[in-house]
Amino acid sequence: MKITRRAALGAATATTAVATLPRFAIAQTDQRPSITVAVQKISNSGVLEPLREQSSNVSERWVASILETPIARNQQGQLERVPGIATGWKRISDTTVELALRPGVKFHNGDELTAEDVAFSFGPEHMFGASLPTDIPPIAKRHWPALARVEVVDRHTVRFINTTLDVTMEGRLSAGGSEIVSKRAWLEQGDWAANARKPVGTGPYKLREFKPDNSLILDAHDDYWGGRPPVKSVRFLEVPEASSRIAGLQSGEFDFACDIPPDQISQIERDPKLVVQGGLVLNHRIVAFDHHHPQLANPLVRLAMAHAVDGQAIVDALWAGRTKVPAGLQWEFYGDMFVKGWAVPKFDPDAARSLLKQAGYKGDEIVYRARNDYYTAENATAQILVEFWKQVGLNVRLEIKENWGQVLDKAGPRGLRDWSNSAVFDDPVSSLVNQHGPNGAQQANGEWSNAEMNTLSVALETGTDMARRKAAFARMLQICERDDPAYIVLHQNAVFTAHRKNSPWRAPPSFFMDFSKQAWRA
Amino acid sequence: MLRFLALRLARAAFTIILVVTFAFVVLRMSGDPALIIMSPDAPQEAIEAFRHAWGLDQPIWIQYFDYFGAIFHGELGQSFRDGRPALELVAERIPATLILTIPALLLKVGVGIPAGIHAALHRNSTTDRLVMAGAVAGFTVPSFVLGLLLVLLFSVQLGWLPSGGQESWRSMILPVITLGFGGAGVLARFTRSAMLEVLGQPYIRTASAKGVPWHRVVRFHALPNAAIPTITIVGFMVGSLIAGAVVVESVFSWPGVGRLLVVAVSNRDLAVVQCILLLVATTMVTSNLIVDLLYGVLDPRLRAGAGAH
Repeated sequence: MKITRRAALGAATATTAVATLPRFAIAQTDQRPSITVAVQKISNSGVLEPLREQSSNVSERWVASILETPIARNQQGQLERVPGIATGWKRISDTTVELALRPGVKFHNGDELTAEDVAFSFGPEHMFGASLPTDIPPIAKRHWPALARVEVVDRHTVRFINTTLDVTMEGRLSAGGSEIVSKRAWLEQGDWAANARKPVGTGPYKLREFKPDNSLILDAHDDYWGGRPPVKSVRFLEVPEASSRIAGLQSGEFDFACDIPPDQISQIERDPKLVVQGGLVLNHRIVAFDHHHPQLANPLVRLAMAHAVDGQAIVDALWAGRTKVPAGLQWEFYGDMFVKGWAVPKFDPDAARSLLKQAGYKGDEIVYRARNDYYTAENATAQILVEFWKQVGLNVRLEIKENWGQVLDKAGPRGLRDWSNSAVFDDPVSSLVNQHGPNGAQQANGEWSNAEMNTLSVALETGTDMARRKAAFARMLQICERDDPAYIVLHQNAVFTAHRKNSPWRAPPSFFMDFSKQAWRA
Repeated sequence: MLRFLALRLARAAFTIILVVTFAFVVLRMSGDPALIIMSPDAPQEAIEAFRHAWGLDQPIWIQYFDYFGAIFHGELGQSFRDGRPALELVAERIPATLILTIPALLLKVGVGIPAGIHAALHRNSTTDRLVMAGAVAGFTVPSFVLGLLLVLLFSVQLGWLPSGGQESWRSMILPVITLGFGGAGVLARFTRSAMLEVLGQPYIRTASAKGVPWHRVVRFHALPNAAIPTITIVGFMVGSLIAGAVVVESVFSWPGVGRLLVVAVSNRDLAVVQCILLLVATTMVTSNLIVDLLYGVLDPRLRAGAGAH
């Protein structure tokens, strides 16, 4: 057979076309956008393991995209518990919760999730074992203080058994620290450090690449049980400077810019192509007391400091009214445990002066430690607070510190300090007890303690009678915010995200950058 | 010459020990890595376990001697954050920094020195004044201000260049200009001053009087003699190639050694900070040593002086 040059060229062209077409067709079918999200920080700890990465305002951006808890939260609602990889849950007894796992849930490595993976995730290799870094088991213990064991009933049924009564087990199953990992992937990757850098979960996006302090790239997990994710890939880019994040958004390099300071919102919204979303999150800004400070030993002085603060003025001046002064250290998210009618001590300079007089305060100095804008508008808030206190005759000296070690340093006088408190799940155990109770950081740091508060904390953790629990919680608020103040609640925190208007995205009421089908309504 | 080298090497080693000791004391006395990395909300037991695991619960002098002992065995330690070897972490960032700092150095030398020479040769002319105005602007405008101004103009307003990140060669342009502009200004200023001083020397007048063409006077009599202060400055710039872009890397979100240093210092990630400081000190000391040797090459009197001792 004679092959002419024309025939050879034609054959070559046809072969190339045949080889190229399928790929082209595949590319054509995936019309989903790839997006870039500029964040201030991706991970404080340099790893992607929630049990090490403890800062909710940093890791919450991406954790739930990769790893899921057994019970999910409605990110497009009020964060209420909803079925996730567990389709249902029921109490077998006061100490046991049984989960029915969703069949067909696929990990990022293609394995199907079974009860074995759930039990493994709460077992010694992942949470409580001696082979883990020594800081991991105590953190796991805080998330699950009385977990006896996780029992596999069958392939899709698993039981969580506690040693003590605990009405918050369902809440804990929906909170950070309860993420499910693939048993096979974890064992194959070997050590904790390797897994902490490359988690394999069931979330809607899977890890492609993580460069600490630089970028985190996630690809859509197309076998996701909740349906094909609407975004092809998400790249989180660490851009520490707010001005750089905003500039990148305006120039079109970024699709989203997180952690927008409230005073920048109006300037961003002048650009018709951009919009700012966001609002209140389950986190309150507080100022914590050290009652060992000579001037603060008397609770009347602490209460006077609370009465001297006009939280609404801070909200109006620094947040342009985009947040609020909450009803003490609680959220409506608590549901029936929310104490209606409770409020922070009202702004009343005369009452503050009167309390100081009763306490015999002579104008001695009180030290107030804050960090350099670690929290939004922290410096300005601290300066305003010092002025409020000055107005009622309090002599407060502001010390700006670089890190938490310096803030908590016991050397030198320690009076007040900046802090915040989050509702990790829908019960006061997750916030009031967690930070201010007997095992909380404030008492562990030797700043404050109260015997009645500690007794009530145990009652709240182990009680099952909801009316009695609520009464205990109300009394705890009374102790911590009036009788023997542990802190002053300043305002609820809010988080703002700017993005291009053509992104059909809806911000959840949390720090999470949710790119699920529910959040992305193209 | 050997004595000259040995003295300088001993001085270099002493400098490095001082730098590392100072950094160790300052970092360990000004923050607890356990609280910084784990946050104050972590359980006390976890924080104690972290401190114990990394030997942070030992007296500071024991930590110091342990650290130095490890260095002498070639161990630069591991990151507190993820347990990776500090040297590995630093080494993987060096290329990113060098692809900014080397072009920036070429820009500084390529623009600054010719501009300084030109300004000196045309003293008090309009060109001289323009060059000096640019030079003063270069070294007085802080790099973070210049960086943001360039971003506003070329990224936000004109949309020509990326505002940050390390996406392509285009991402390098603004950081390199930001780094190079200030350095070029410094070099222009020093080169001009050195040239003016040399041009006023009797041997320049003598050479001109003997009928040597002006371009030969400049090239063979003025430039070599004016090179010493300029080479000193260039030496400093070479020495800061590794960590000379800390601010610019932060402004442009560039994942280099500078960003790593900022993060490591704020986390009190001691092994990583020390590793970077060792590298920086070694680079700086080596660069100074080379400059010292070049002095001898450029000025035979210095060679003779070293030999006389």
